[in-house]
Amino acid sequence: MDALTPYILAAARYVLPVLALWVLARCVRSMLREKYEPEVWGYVLDGDGDKVFPLTHWENLLGRAKSADVSLSDPSVSRVHAVLIRNDKGLWRLYDTFSKGGAWVNAKNAEDEEGAAVRSGDTLALADKELVFEDISPAKRAELEKDRTPAGRNIGPGLTLLGLTVFQAFLALEHSVTADADHMLIVVLGFAALILIEWFCYFAMRSIRRTGFEVETLAFFLTTLGLSVVATSAPDDMYKDVILIIAGVVLFFITGWWLRDLERTKKARTAVALLALVLLALNLVIGKISGGARNWISLGGFTIQPSELVKVAYIYVGAATLDRLFRTRNLIVFIAFSAICVIALALMGDFGTALIFFATFLVISFMRSGSIATVALAITGAGLAGFLMLSIKPYIAQRFATWGHAWEDVYDKGYQQTRAMSAAASGGLFGKGAGAGWLKDVTAANTDMVFGVLCEELGLIVAVCAILAILILAFFAVRSAAHGRSSYYVIAACASVSMMMVQLSLNVFGSMDILPFTGVTFPFVSKGGTSLLSCWMLLAFIKAADTRKGASFVVKPPSKSGGEEDDDE
Amino acid sequence: MKKVTRRAIAALVVAAFVITGVFVYCFDYVKNGAVWASYFGVSNVTGTSTITDRNGVVLASETGGKVTYAADYTTRLACYQTVGDLSGNVGTGALTMFRSKLAGFNLVSGTTQSTGTKLSLTIDSALNATAYKALAGRSGAVLVCNYKTGEILCMVSAPSQDPSNPSSSPAEGTYLNKCISSTFTPGSVFKLVTLTAAIENVSDLDSQTFTCKGSVDVAGVTIHCTGTHGSQTVEQALANSCNCAFAKIAQEVGGATLEKYAQKLGMTEAHTLDGIRTAAGSFEKADDGSSELSWSGIGQSTDLVCPYSMLRLVSAIANGGELAEPTLLGRAAIGGKTKLLSQATADRLKEFMSYNVQSSYGTGSFPGLKICAKSGTAEVGDGTSHAWFTGFLADDAHPYAFVVVVEHGGGGLRQAGPIANAVLQAAVAKY
Repeated sequence: MDALTPYILAAARYVLPVLALWVLARCVRSMLREKYEPEVWGYVLDGDGDKVFPLTHWENLLGRAKSADVSLSDPSVSRVHAVLIRNDKGLWRLYDTFSKGGAWVNAKNAEDEEGAAVRSGDTLALADKELVFEDISPAKRAELEKDRTPAGRNIGPGLTLLGLTVFQAFLALEHSVTADADHMLIVVLGFAALILIEWFCYFAMRSIRRTGFEVETLAFFLTTLGLSVVATSAPDDMYKDVILIIAGVVLFFITGWWLRDLERTKKARTAVALLALVLLALNLVIGKISGGARNWISLGGFTIQPSELVKVAYIYVGAATLDRLFRTRNLIVFIAFSAICVIALALMGDFGTALIFFATFLVISFMRSGSIATVALAITGAGLAGFLMLSIKPYIAQRFATWGHAWEDVYDKGYQQTRAMSAAASGGLFGKGAGAGWLKDVTAANTDMVFGVLCEELGLIVAVCAILAILILAFFAVRSAAHGRSSYYVIAACASVSMMMVQLSLNVFGSMDILPFTGVTFPFVSKGGTSLLSCWMLLAFIKAADTRKGASFVVKPPSKSGGEEDDDE
Repeated sequence: MKKVTRRAIAALVVAAFVITGVFVYCFDYVKNGAVWASYFGVSNVTGTSTITDRNGVVLASETGGKVTYAADYTTRLACYQTVGDLSGNVGTGALTMFRSKLAGFNLVSGTTQSTGTKLSLTIDSALNATAYKALAGRSGAVLVCNYKTGEILCMVSAPSQDPSNPSSSPAEGTYLNKCISSTFTPGSVFKLVTLTAAIENVSDLDSQTFTCKGSVDVAGVTIHCTGTHGSQTVEQALANSCNCAFAKIAQEVGGATLEKYAQKLGMTEAHTLDGIRTAAGSFEKADDGSSELSWSGIGQSTDLVCPYSMLRLVSAIANGGELAEPTLLGRAAIGGKTKLLSQATADRLKEFMSYNVQSSYGTGSFPGLKICAKSGTAEVGDGTSHAWFTGFLADDAHPYAFVVVVEHGGGGLRQAGPIANAVLQAAVAKY
């Protein structure tokens, strides 16, 4: 066996990047290149010209604006006139969005906050313009649904997952060679457990006839890299990490299941917001200081990072349905909530997380308001607040001073960055082999400098694949936005991917001295319990926006949606 | 919904940011990967590599992260700053700067296992030891190079320490290689710069007579001279290192021109020695007619010069104006040639510097050497002076240029001259 060791390591070094690229390429083809047809939920008929507008979302904007879903040319119609919304139960309502000419359903005014109920055949009057609403018949819907491309028809997710499994097997093999005798078994068992978990999920999805598994595959790919980092840096924690992965996956399914019901989701927003504030307050009162930031609390033997959970709550609260987007009051409440979150994080000294919240705030507020001015104003405000913070917290100012000058102070202020960069470069394109690096022994290597560990041990190609995996999720969320049922899901998905991207930027580019070093985690990859859990929960938001046919367990199939009862498979 | 769909572009903006960052990183990696990878490489690459001097004397040898230094105690001290140490205390040391050559690196495989990598420096450790002994405990710098090839034969900085047994609180300046990382007030050696400017810009320089009465008044400020030299030619003025004469010459050249020459001759800029950045000097342009201009032409005022910059200048003078850029790696480095002076100016300066020795310094102090030189005694303001002695041998068989600085050493010729003589005698005897 010992004689074979160098050959095993040499082969695995080149096999791993190839497999990683192959898995990602399959995900790209399936998620971004396959046909993605819209769903149809009803029609609006233009009485004058027999024009038919298919309603491809649950939430539709009616108005004179080009960007309206039902774009009308009648001059009496306001640009943003009314929104026509379908709920989970298949019931439609019309809401007047402060139009000039008013909106009516069969002469019933739709002005107040509850709007007016709409049934098939009802007349919608927008100022002088009259339209007829027609619900889609189950037969017609079934017919249309048949023509849609099911997820994974051409690029089977099972084969992709098999590719990932081979990747994991090779990685485990490398670890089994480099791990010391005491840890060899637990490391190999850890990878075996991960393989079991992912195939269990795959078959669970199959059993409820869901064929989209790419989002999960990408998350499992990243989790694999995270497990590899644990195996090399803290093999004693292998077991704890596997339990955390299971917990993360369970939370992913719970969150996804919860998000299935939009009404339920919307109703719980206030409660979630309050919970988030309580967590932050608790953190401020009983938090523990670590690395200059007071962002840990200890609960019955477990240490958790509440700010990680608040990230999920923040997006949950921040996303909104179309009818609410046009009410400024809602945006103001959200801005206040954001401000409290960011200030609380600043007080804790968790500058990196505050920055992530702020960037996510920009994305959400832009998606809600569509106003560049709002965003510009927010950036200016934050810039001023930032300067204030720099003057109050000297250690943050110092990080800014070190930024770009890490190599000038290798033994103190640039200690971590220079070591991360040195180790990263020494790995070349293919790495030194899993478990064979030296950076793993430097403090915080498996969290803040995790990109360095990936580059050193698995090589630049695999490390860049980790970034690509998140980018693929982002492009997929944007692509799905065109076919989203509710703007709630679209905003939540785009905010989730943005949050992940900002976080990975701060982690990767911070440790490589391209951005200030803020010490945040790389989604799914960095070691850290709460962070892993929150990433899996954020993934549920992405899954909720995946409306490809039969793709997501979070999205009810049209045939089942709109029935009297909410029937789970 | 279409509105919200369009606004999803916000996520694409973030994605564009990430992609840009990845490209920046990859660019940095291609550009600097070798330096990064090898920076901490010594302790992490298993293999053996050796740094030797030009004659194969081992200066540092590492096996599996442990370094052993030269066998001889004086050699270890004399070569400390040039070789550096494992912990990188001397930022410009070969162990730090040439790590990528020692460890072995390429962009595809990263660091490669190095076995038997050998790096030969151009210095002669025996000459270093001679220079270190001649410094006799004084702080300073000694630099000798072959002006035809650029090879640095001797590079010593003091105070020093034994890397095998490093002190936890070494004397101030131990971690600095003063030959390349320090700047000093140049004093009279800067007159070479002022003279170069005068040769090329003052048409009646040779026909002028400079009268020295022991001091001269410039714009109400008295500039004292080292003696009372009476009436002199420019040649005699340089040999006497007459401040009165050079106060006048500086005025004739003018502040702008003098500044231009300080830059052109490389006194103010930082240079790179095989990738090692050297210290930049300084020269402040003074108004025409002011006493500051006279002082700056004499090498006082705010003038600061790195010994390495001075070595480049005297090498160029010795080599007919064309400078062979100094190197520590010899043929391993792609050292270029730089045209620093015209042949005519260089030859003129060479005559002047030869005359210095013949008429003023005395050939007896340098038995057997065809030496051309300029001394400097730079007042540093606390009553002490840095002793400078720089020049070269006008000898094709022994083409050596040199710079010696003794910090707070006193008179240039008396203090720095003998050190130069000791090292040059050893070099001539050996090669």
